[in-house]
Amino acid sequence: MSESMQIHEHFQIKWGMVIDVDKCTGCGACQVACQAENNIPPSQQSFDRLRSVHWLYVYKLENGRPYPESDIAYLPRPCMQCGNPSCASVCPVIATTKDEEGGIVSQIYPRCIGCRYCMAACPYHSRVFNWFDPVWPKGMEKTLTPYVSVRPRGVVEKCTFCHHRFQLAKRRARAEGRDPHHLKEDEYIPACAEACPTGAIAFGDLHNPEHKVHQLSRSEHAFRILERLGTEPQVYYLSRRPWVRRQGDNYVQKDQQRGE
Amino acid sequence: MLEKALKGSKTYWVWIIFLLAVMGAGSIFYIIQLQKGLTVTGMGRDVSWGFYIAQFTYFVGVAASAVMLVLPLYLHNQKKFEKMVTLGEFMAVAAVVICMGFVVVDLGQPQRMLNMIFHPTLNSMLFYDMIVLSGYLLLNIIIAWNNLHAEYQRRPHPHWLKPLIYLSIVWAVSIHTVTAYLIQGLPARHLWLTAIMAPRFLASAFCSGPAILIILALIAKKFTRYDPGKEAIRILAQIVTYAMVTNVFLFLCELFTAYYSNIPGHEHILTYFFTGLHGANALVGWAWVMAAAAILSLVILVPSRFRNHPDMLLVGLVLLILATWIDKGLLLIVGGFIPNPMGTITEYAPTGYELMISAMVYATGLLILTILWKVAIGVKKEIGEA
Repeated sequence: MSESMQIHEHFQIKWGMVIDVDKCTGCGACQVACQAENNIPPSQQSFDRLRSVHWLYVYKLENGRPYPESDIAYLPRPCMQCGNPSCASVCPVIATTKDEEGGIVSQIYPRCIGCRYCMAACPYHSRVFNWFDPVWPKGMEKTLTPYVSVRPRGVVEKCTFCHHRFQLAKRRARAEGRDPHHLKEDEYIPACAEACPTGAIAFGDLHNPEHKVHQLSRSEHAFRILERLGTEPQVYYLSRRPWVRRQGDNYVQKDQQRGE
Repeated sequence: MLEKALKGSKTYWVWIIFLLAVMGAGSIFYIIQLQKGLTVTGMGRDVSWGFYIAQFTYFVGVAASAVMLVLPLYLHNQKKFEKMVTLGEFMAVAAVVICMGFVVVDLGQPQRMLNMIFHPTLNSMLFYDMIVLSGYLLLNIIIAWNNLHAEYQRRPHPHWLKPLIYLSIVWAVSIHTVTAYLIQGLPARHLWLTAIMAPRFLASAFCSGPAILIILALIAKKFTRYDPGKEAIRILAQIVTYAMVTNVFLFLCELFTAYYSNIPGHEHILTYFFTGLHGANALVGWAWVMAAAAILSLVILVPSRFRNHPDMLLVGLVLLILATWIDKGLLLIVGGFIPNPMGTITEYAPTGYELMISAMVYATGLLILTILWKVAIGVKKEIGEA
C-alpha cells in the first residue's frame, strides 16, 4: 500500500515498540506483567492456548536445522497497533477504532457484541475472546489494577499498550504544565517493557527523534511481522539472525515453518 | 388468511409439534450456552468462527429461492412460475430468519446485538449484511403476503408492489454479494481472499436455493396435492443446472489458480481439504464426498433425459444440495482459518451443543416455512388454482 493511502498516518505521535528478539530469553516476565497490570483473570484451562486470554504472548521460533546449527528465538507478540488495522474496519458496532492521538487501536468492551469478526480479520491473533467468565480466586481480587476495567465473558479484548498509563502520564504532564503530547522518553511505558529484565522491549514515540525507538525501528536488523500484508504494524522487531527475520514474514515463504 | 394455518390434518399437527419439540430441546442447549458462554462450542483462538457462521453463509444462498422465480416471472413474463412464486418468496423469508438466527447464536453478547443499530458502522460489512438481510426479509414478506391477500380477495395484484418486486431482484443479488464481501476482504485469510468469492456465492445460491425449493415443493405436493406446475419445475431445474455448472466452474478456477501458481497460501488450504496437511485431515472425507456429489449431480442434471425424469431429478438435486452444503456450510468458513496466518493448523469440529442449537435454528425456520406455505397453499387451493 502506498504511503498516500494510509488512513491513519496523520497522528503526531505514533506509540511503538521495538523488541530485540536476540535479547529476549523467553522468561515470560512481560507476559506475566501484562496479565497482572491489565486484570487478565487466571486461566480456567491454562494449558489450553486456544481458549486462554493473552494480550501478549511469547512465541518460540525454531530454525528447524539439526545440531549443531539448531537455533531458537523467542518472540513476544503484543497487539501490533497496526497503521491500517484490519480489525477496526470490520467491527459492526464501532467498538474498536484507531482515532486517538498516539495511534493505539482501542477496544470498547461494554459495546462489543462478541461477533468475533475482528478476530477473523486480525492476522496476528492479537485479539482474544473471553470464552470463560473472569474469575479471581478469593483474595486475588486485591491484586486488581484500579485503572483497568475487567471484561465480561463473551467480548473480545486486546493489548492497549497499557493505555491507562498513557492517560496517567498525560495527566502528570498537564499538572506540571508541560505539553501532554510531548512526553519524555520512558515517561509512558507499558508494563511489559517495564518488566523485561534484559531490556529487550523498547517503547516510545516512533515519530519522535528523541525517543530511542525512532532510531531502533530504522535499524537494518528491524522487521515487522507479516509486513507484506500492508497492515503497517507499530511494533518492530530486531534480530541480527537472518532466519528470525525471514520467519517474521512467512507469508512469502513456503509456509513450512510453524509460527508457534 | 392466517387462520389457514390453524386448521390442518393430523399429519400437519404432528409435524408442527415435532418442530416445536426440536426447538424446545435445542433451546435447552442454547440456555446452557448462554450461561456457560461459547466455551461449549468447538471454537477457539484459531478457528474463531465455526458451524454457526457456516450455516449462516449457506442459508443466505438458500434465500435465492425467491429471485430465481421472481426474475423470470416479472422480467421475462414466464407465467408458468406464477403458482410457485409465493412458495419461493416465503421460503426466502424462512431462510433469512435462519440466517439471522445463526448470527445471533454465534454472538458472545447477544443481548447487545442492537448495538449494530445504535452504533451504525458504515465501514463494516456486517452492518451492511444486517441491512440487506433484513431488507430482503421485509421485501419478501410484503410482496408475497400482499399478492397472496389480493388473490384471496380475488382482486388483481396491487400495482404499488411492482417497484418493490423489481427492487427485490436487485436486492437478492446484494445479499449474496455482501455476505461474500464479509469474508473476501480480510488479509491473511487465503481461502477467502479471492475476487471470485462473490460470484461463487451467487452461483452457489442460484443452484442450492431453487434446488431446495423444488424438493420442498414436491414434498408439499405429496401432502397437500397442490401442484406448482410441471413446467415450472422443469424450467427451474434447468436454471439450477446452469447455476451448478457455473458454481463448479468457479471452484475449478480456484483450484487452477492455487495449483498452477503454487502460491502456498492458496494451495495449502485446498491441499488440507483434499489430502490433509501435516497430518491434519479432519475434512478430507467431506471434501471428497463434496467432489463426488458435485460431479454426480452434474452427470444427472446436465442431460435433459435424466433431468426431466422425476426420480432422477430428485436424486440429482439431493446430490447438488449435499455438495453445495459441504462447500459452503462446512468447508468454506472453517477453511479460512486453516492454516492460521502463522502457518499453524488447528482443526475444528462442532460439538453436540453446536449441532443441537443449530437444529433449533433450523426447526424455527422450518416452522415459519410450514406456516407460511400452509397459508399460501390453503389460499391457492381455495381460489381454485390447484
